[in-house]
Amino acid sequence: MSEKVKVTNLVKTFGDNEVLKGINLTVQNNEVVVIIGPSGSGKSTLLRNLNKLEEPTSGSIVIDNVDIARNDVDINSVRENIGMVFQHFNLFKNLSVGENIMLAPVELKKETKDEAEAQAKKLLETVGLQEKFDATVQSLSGGQQQRVAIARALAMNPDIMLFDEPTSALDPEMVGDVLEVMKKLAKQGMTMVVVTHEMGFAKEVADRVVFVDDGQILEEGTPEQIFEHPKNERLQDFLNKILNV
Amino acid sequence: MKQKVLTAFGLLVAFATILFCLGLPGSKAQAKTYQIGTDVTYPPFEFANKQNKYVGIDIDIMKAIAKEEGFKVNVKPVGFNAAVQSVQSGQLDGIIAGMTITPQRKDKFDFGTPYYKTGAVMAVKKGSDITSLKQLKGKKVALKTGTAAADYANSLKKKYGFKTVTFDDSDNMYQDVTTGNSVACFDDQPVLQYGIKHGLKLQIATKPANQGWYGFGVKKGTHKDLVKKFNAGLKKIQANGTYDKIVGKYLGTSSNSKVKGKTFVIGTDVTFPPFEFANKNNKYVGIDMDLIRAIANEQGFKVKIKALGFNAAVQAVESGQADGVIAGMSITNERKAQFDFSKPYFNSGVVMAVASNSKIHKLSELKGKRVAVKTGTSGADYANSIKKKYGFKVVTFDDSNNMYQDVSTGNSVACFEDHPVMQYAIKQGTKLKIVTKPALNAPYGFAVKKGHNKALLQAFNTGLEDLKASGTYDTIKAKYLGADEIKTAAKTSGNSAEDRTFIGLIKQNKGALLSGLQETLWLTVVSIFFATIFGVLVGLMGVVPNKFSQGTSTTLIYLFRGMPLLVLALFIYTGIPSLTGQKIPAFVAGVVTLTFNEGAYIAAFVKGGIEAVDPGQMEASRSLGLPFGKSMRKIILPQGIRIMVPSFINQFIITLKDTSILSIIGLLELTQTGKIIIARNLEGFKVWTIVAAIYLIIITLLTWLSNWVQRRTKV
Repeated sequence: MSEKVKVTNLVKTFGDNEVLKGINLTVQNNEVVVIIGPSGSGKSTLLRNLNKLEEPTSGSIVIDNVDIARNDVDINSVRENIGMVFQHFNLFKNLSVGENIMLAPVELKKETKDEAEAQAKKLLETVGLQEKFDATVQSLSGGQQQRVAIARALAMNPDIMLFDEPTSALDPEMVGDVLEVMKKLAKQGMTMVVVTHEMGFAKEVADRVVFVDDGQILEEGTPEQIFEHPKNERLQDFLNKILNV
Repeated sequence: MKQKVLTAFGLLVAFATILFCLGLPGSKAQAKTYQIGTDVTYPPFEFANKQNKYVGIDIDIMKAIAKEEGFKVNVKPVGFNAAVQSVQSGQLDGIIAGMTITPQRKDKFDFGTPYYKTGAVMAVKKGSDITSLKQLKGKKVALKTGTAAADYANSLKKKYGFKTVTFDDSDNMYQDVTTGNSVACFDDQPVLQYGIKHGLKLQIATKPANQGWYGFGVKKGTHKDLVKKFNAGLKKIQANGTYDKIVGKYLGTSSNSKVKGKTFVIGTDVTFPPFEFANKNNKYVGIDMDLIRAIANEQGFKVKIKALGFNAAVQAVESGQADGVIAGMSITNERKAQFDFSKPYFNSGVVMAVASNSKIHKLSELKGKRVAVKTGTSGADYANSIKKKYGFKVVTFDDSNNMYQDVSTGNSVACFEDHPVMQYAIKQGTKLKIVTKPALNAPYGFAVKKGHNKALLQAFNTGLEDLKASGTYDTIKAKYLGADEIKTAAKTSGNSAEDRTFIGLIKQNKGALLSGLQETLWLTVVSIFFATIFGVLVGLMGVVPNKFSQGTSTTLIYLFRGMPLLVLALFIYTGIPSLTGQKIPAFVAGVVTLTFNEGAYIAAFVKGGIEAVDPGQMEASRSLGLPFGKSMRKIILPQGIRIMVPSFINQFIITLKDTSILSIIGLLELTQTGKIIIARNLEGFKVWTIVAAIYLIIITLLTWLSNWVQRRTKV
């Protein structure tokens, strides 16, 4: 296994508020890393730094041997290889489902329109929505929208996928479908960084679980280490709260 | 302490004054010969004649002034640049060398009163039918290198699509035109005029452009007495005709032919019968109008009458948008500071008028009452000067009709108005009566901007004298006021023949209203077009992630949204020409005004519309690797525009209505048309109803259209 992402001493401040206080994190190729932690702990900020939706304050983020924290990096071409799935799906409301998926490959001249259409249909099949190609975004349920969003992110053939609480905004009965798609991806060997509260998913799919609190990584390890033998007091506390509801 | 400082300061001032007074006569007493530098050869301003004696306009003027003021001059043709330097080093006292007054030169020189106006003109072969720049398209034009006229021609080259060929001296340039190689040439007006007088087979085809003034200069801060003498002498020789004689000697013009064939823009009031008003055919008539036309005819110039309203006309003259104003304008000392007046052409006085059924008949009965006046008139000045004494309040209107209305409805008990105007209004059916004798006898005069358009003023005076001598003047006066001014007032009323019903009024004024409506619509469409471009650009600048661009956007919106439309219109129409010296047509000024004002509002909601799109949309697009611009175009704008559509439509309707404000700068749009019609027939209520109805109909149509568009763009 080789290093895909190496985060060193990452600090992010918003004004006076230090949200990330020196994060060190490595993600190997084909690894699935799940980030857990209480609300406001900085997990989403950490994830959003990985494709520079947030500008890092200091530290380095090396992806495929390129430090994207530097200012001279062409962030657009870096992002082409990093898929991102948002909590609120963020599908383009002025475009149909098919157009949502085809937009980036066609606009960035990766594929012709015909190729993009064929690929979009295939991706929709993967996420179980082949019949929705011409549908409007507004006609889909939340779970369907999130699966389209995953298909859209996959359309650029990224080699790493970032998931920012992908199921938090969904009705409970929709969550399963989305997690199913994510598990499928993990099995295919996709490198994934997932911020989530779905502990079941973490136990089943994660190669490694990272516990973030107060802008720092307090503990990391296999799901078994984290869930069965947590050492850090705050992690124990957090797990108690979340598992014994 | 403070007292002491003040006393010390007072003493100092007194001391300085004494020194100054002592110093002045001393310097005056010296019978000194001033050394004046000039150019070697710049005909017709300075050149050596056959006897090798230096002559020319500059030299003759300088000598005439010296003679007039009793000092001696020695004019030295050292060359232009050498003269400039010698003045600066103190070797020469002054320079007169066809030297254009420019701001840069003002840093180094103090200039006397400008003594000659110059500009670039186009000349064509004698007998050629080319009379305008437009006819130059595809043709060849001759220029002389390094002249201001060449710069001017080059600046026009693209616009009018002509080719240029450049010569090193004037003779070759002229030759190229007379032989027909080139169809025209550009040169300084006096230089060309001089050449033509001396046998050049050319004719001048355009009015002078890029105009500037020649001035007499001394080193800055020195020779104040010399400049003073120069100015005094110039005034004298201009007044006694010597100046014209000198200019005429070299250019073959007298003051009369200076105006001959030229067109002057004359500003006047919208409503000031019997001096100016639109008749049934919407042509401007009245004593002023007939007079200025008769004088123009007599003196061989043309006038373009612009009914701007009194205040706007006065400002237009001050800012150079109009050449003169004739608008029943009383000659007052205050106005003399800004204007040069002609000889009085009409003697008027202020009378007080009250409602025809009112019992008030003298000033002392006004105590505690309200009195109506029209802004800027001598009636208003008079009322204000006596309001304390008689204890009444004054309310001000912008035109006569509203003022009369205020009295006849009883809001005010009386109004003050010029005698003939009041007489005429009563003759036309205004329900008022005159109760006082004319006070403040004030003569009316034709005015030009102080120090400008002297030839026009002189032509007016000469023409007026001629008209008085021929009896035309009396005929004009009698036409509007009757032979016996008062007795005929009640009689003939041209109005009784007019149909005063709504239908009748519409029929009569159909043409005027339609053309007013057309102007309104045209103004709206053109303004919306430019305002949209301006607004969208500024709006987009406001959302680009760049501090400078956002700052610019915010500033522009703040500036143009924060300024009342009326102020902006006046600023652009009268302010800009004062600053730049370039006239702006009212229509262009109107479009520019609306573009900035409406554009600022458009910018604000374009910015708002884009910011209203969920930021997650932009993040999702950027996370796929799409650049900012592409994300904007493909994702954000399509969604933002849907949010903006209702605001756009709203803004269009507002723009249509806002065009009415532009009547202030004299645009003949619907509102101004209404004002003019009312000025004639005084049917305020009915005409405003018709005008209001027209606006409503157009806006209803626009609303229907907008609803249809909105339905089609709905998400």
